[in-house]
Amino acid sequence: MNELCRKIRSEILTISHKSGHGHIPTSFSIVEMLCAVYQTMRHDPKRPDMPDRDLFVLSKGHASLGFYCVLAGHDYFDFEDVYAFGAFDSKFGCHPDRTKVPGAEASTGSLGHGIGLAVGMALAAKIAGTSRRIYTLIGDGESNEGTVWEAIMVATNLKLDNLTVLYDHNHSQGRCLPIPNPAERFRAFGCDVIEADGHDVDALKQALVTPTDRVRVIVGNTVKGYGCTTLAENMYEWHRRSPKAEELNKLLGELHASAV
Amino acid sequence: MRAQFKTTVTELAAQDESIIVVLGDVSVYMFKDFWDRYPKRFYNMGICENTLISVTAGLSSQGYHPFVHTICPFLTERSIEQIKIDMCYNNFGGNIVTCGATFDYAWDGATHHSYTELACLRMLPNMEVLHLGSKREVDALIRSQYNNSRPTYFRLSDHPHAIETNLEFGKGTLLKNEGAQVTVMTAGPILGNVMEACRDLPVNLVYFHTLKPIDKALIERFRDTDILVVHDAYGLHEAIAEVPALRMHYHGLPDAFCGWYGTVHDIRKRIGLDPAGIRAAAQALLSRHSPAVRPLARTGSER
Repeated sequence: MNELCRKIRSEILTISHKSGHGHIPTSFSIVEMLCAVYQTMRHDPKRPDMPDRDLFVLSKGHASLGFYCVLAGHDYFDFEDVYAFGAFDSKFGCHPDRTKVPGAEASTGSLGHGIGLAVGMALAAKIAGTSRRIYTLIGDGESNEGTVWEAIMVATNLKLDNLTVLYDHNHSQGRCLPIPNPAERFRAFGCDVIEADGHDVDALKQALVTPTDRVRVIVGNTVKGYGCTTLAENMYEWHRRSPKAEELNKLLGELHASAV
Repeated sequence: MRAQFKTTVTELAAQDESIIVVLGDVSVYMFKDFWDRYPKRFYNMGICENTLISVTAGLSSQGYHPFVHTICPFLTERSIEQIKIDMCYNNFGGNIVTCGATFDYAWDGATHHSYTELACLRMLPNMEVLHLGSKREVDALIRSQYNNSRPTYFRLSDHPHAIETNLEFGKGTLLKNEGAQVTVMTAGPILGNVMEACRDLPVNLVYFHTLKPIDKALIERFRDTDILVVHDAYGLHEAIAEVPALRMHYHGLPDAFCGWYGTVHDIRKRIGLDPAGIRAAAQALLSRHSPAVRPLARTGSER
């Protein structure tokens, strides 16, 4: 784990402790994938509405705390700004609101919506003849929703080679409706699929810049709660739970011990 | 009305390159000339109504003015959450245009009827809701509203009326002012039956093509009358009720699936939305004010 990703996870834990909100394990599983996107896409954190920017849509909106901390880690705003997470008049809700958060291109939360919006954005870029790229991150649990597969069918039929779907394969639905072999499924739908270690930023960046002539899907093999043994081994218990003070210290200890 | 929709959009597209047409494998042949002229702005996307709405919102987010079109209950009632979140909450605009209003596809049964979508869409913040009744309304109101960057719903029908109405968005039409104690208020294509039913009755007659925003000022003028809402859907009654403390009566759909087949005329007749049924409802209300009013002989044929 690189230091930026560790810093982001540390802030996720701290903000969740302070606010009493946040889905920590699912936020932890996407940190490296989001960092890889923001370190390869065309964007300017000081001009989040830059006209020719690439677009990222967080389809699994409940990972907003991870998303906000990645944006903070890439200079969109300060981590301290996010400390009001979930508060009444905060810009930073437990699901992102595009009208409040610099860098958020869509307001998401109900699963299976963001990917359809991203398909529309990618089609718009094609119609306009621009070189903009569109990225969206979906969860494996989210992919229980039929709209995910509708959107993929439409995207491949329209040959949207400017669309990259990052699939957070953190096995969150193992107890419910698992999706075995997601890479095979996306290939069967006509996508160009790359499987990668979802916690290896360099491998993910390489996958993101690999040329393709189809809808690209990066299946990131991830661990829900990556970086803290307690979270990874008890992901269901911690799905939507904030650490108390002593738990925070323990989790921070585990996070920093993993650096050794 | 569908043909008028196609004609209007095709004419607009000649001047406005931001217009995109997204179809759910319905009305495709009708749009052939649009497709021929503007192939990069025409997408017969598939039978996937939820995604049609999401993609439409995504197109709108990038500055386009999309029209998404397919059969009414599937594009609206099925996709209510996509409309709510992807369009309304995100504040991404776009034009939702449906065919198959209420009982237009009577013969297909209740799966193809649409009862609730006008009422449901009215409740969504940022949404504009139009129950268009005539070809003139289709042309005028699409032209005035399509590029306002707000989510706008246009409900079309295969059975339009041909009555001249106020074509201004958000404005109702006072078609008959008798200074009467009963006011009939209606919307959309059923106006044809309402006009026939009420032509020689001592009632006021008010018509709306825009259900959100509703023309409250016009409704207020008839506050002191009994208001009979005649509508072949839910949505108008609720819209008029935005004006508080009115004496309202609803003559429309039963709280049941209308599980018959046949034609729109057959079902309207069965549930009292043919001219005779509407006339009887109006006369019943009139009789509360003047017992002398008796049902008259039918003056016209069923539409």
